[in-house]
Amino acid sequence: MNLDSPIDSLTVKVIIDDVGKLSAPRLSRPSFEVDENDFFLDVRNIARYRVQNGNKVFINPHENADIASIKLFLNGSVLGAALHQQGILPFHGSSFEYEGKGVIVCGHSGVGKSSVMVAFCQNGGNFINDDITPVRITGSATFITPIKTGIKLWDDSLRKLNIEKNGLEKIRPALEKFYLTEREIFSEEQRLDHLFILGTHQKEEFIVNELTGMGKYDVLRKQIYRRVYLKGMPATEKSYFKQLLLLAARVRVTKILRPELCDIYETMANIQNEILR
Amino acid sequence: MKNTVWLVSYPKSGNTWFRMFLANYLKNVAAPVSLREIESTPLASSAIDFEKVIGLNPFELTADEVDFYRPDFYRILSAEAENTGEVNYKKNHDAYTLNANGEPLFPEETSRGAVYFVRNPLDVCVSYANHGAGKVQRMVDFLLNEESYVAGRRSGQLRQKLLSWKSHIQSWQKQSLIPVHIVRYEDMQQKPTETFGSIINFLCLEYDEERLKRAITHSDFRALQRMEQEEGFPERKQLCKSFFWKGKIGNYRDYLSDKQIQRIVEYNYDTMKLFGYIDEHGNLTV
Repeated sequence: MNLDSPIDSLTVKVIIDDVGKLSAPRLSRPSFEVDENDFFLDVRNIARYRVQNGNKVFINPHENADIASIKLFLNGSVLGAALHQQGILPFHGSSFEYEGKGVIVCGHSGVGKSSVMVAFCQNGGNFINDDITPVRITGSATFITPIKTGIKLWDDSLRKLNIEKNGLEKIRPALEKFYLTEREIFSEEQRLDHLFILGTHQKEEFIVNELTGMGKYDVLRKQIYRRVYLKGMPATEKSYFKQLLLLAARVRVTKILRPELCDIYETMANIQNEILR
Repeated sequence: MKNTVWLVSYPKSGNTWFRMFLANYLKNVAAPVSLREIESTPLASSAIDFEKVIGLNPFELTADEVDFYRPDFYRILSAEAENTGEVNYKKNHDAYTLNANGEPLFPEETSRGAVYFVRNPLDVCVSYANHGAGKVQRMVDFLLNEESYVAGRRSGQLRQKLLSWKSHIQSWQKQSLIPVHIVRYEDMQQKPTETFGSIINFLCLEYDEERLKRAITHSDFRALQRMEQEEGFPERKQLCKSFFWKGKIGNYRDYLSDKQIQRIVEYNYDTMKLFGYIDEHGNLTV
């Protein structure tokens, strides 16, 4: 079984033996354990994963698991743990370049991050990342780091985006969610300019609110991918505090509440107005 | 620690009304609390909370796989609440079921009890049709389907197995691991002090009749309707005009055909009789 690593700095090894659990983890939950440089995840009936020192992943697949499912969790929660170990802030968001600006759309699972990102890509934008976006913050600049994971879309989103699903690979055999055929992806880092937090409500209108001051910090902190792992990584969490303060000072942060039922392109238009404003 | 209370019902059976009563009773202030206080009794099926706690996207798991993790999910929430000493009140539409490992979704060791709200299935049917802006006939079929479920996929909530109306209540009645206190929606309307008071006693909360009556007044159905019109209600669906719709006992007579009534009654006869919706002569009581 051969599984590609989603980032160059990470080696992935599939093993027959058990990956083992942590000896005295700082955070222990029934399905995962976390220390500053060590992480264990058990996805039942799929695989057990171990991530160490931010550069090694060991995978012990379940005997009946399919490779697509093993890959999905490698490119999700496991990648998130590896990025945390490397001290690179991963945001729960999809990212793209539009009109020369680096944009991330964050939000909880199912809110429509991928759909709106694809809508932008259909209208002049360039895809960077789907679902997880690592952000590298230096003393003087802030960058989106491209990773090698595919765009995942539900069948109804494909339909709304006028994309034919025939021939697309399912992310898992049992789910009607598909990998969109690879688009040309950024191979170099892109400066981050604007971060959106997309949410839904039951009203008919869009509510757009650009944040200022410490409100930006609080909201940014909540967009960290797999933030729960940081309960076992206090040193990393501390380093993120400084990074988030820098980020809050440098990028625009806008919250957008969209109607639960609305057109993807209408959501795109609302975000587009804010990017260009 | 047994610090979780499940507020259980088939949809549209008075659960949210009770949650507003409870928010008022617990807060114990002179003015009615805002509808936003509904968040103090959150949904047991929140997909966002699941992902935060379990660290997996529930929509990239199958619904049955999610059910593997749900007992752990509730144990962790219970452990986190232990630090604050507070009771976790969780709104819950699930039937009492086991996951594929044979484990109940709701762990005995963290469950203090369950309050079960039962309502005449004929009224449930029309109220639920309004809530989802759906067709009444579809709701009739839903209430009689042993495989009925709601949410799942990426709806914002985890899949909840409801089963049929009668199997839902039977599933909670038959289990013996979690103490259950059953109240009728109709009694909440017609005998509020006695009915809401019985829940306060079941939950071992301090019983104070003046406080009880004030909370009942503050969560009166018409007051909730008025507040929804003024400030909106976060749990209303976009296509539904109002969450607190009519709340009327016997409202079904304006919406269900004789044939639809007959189907619901025939399927649920014994359970409807048990809860007083059919009298000893076999006649509908409302």
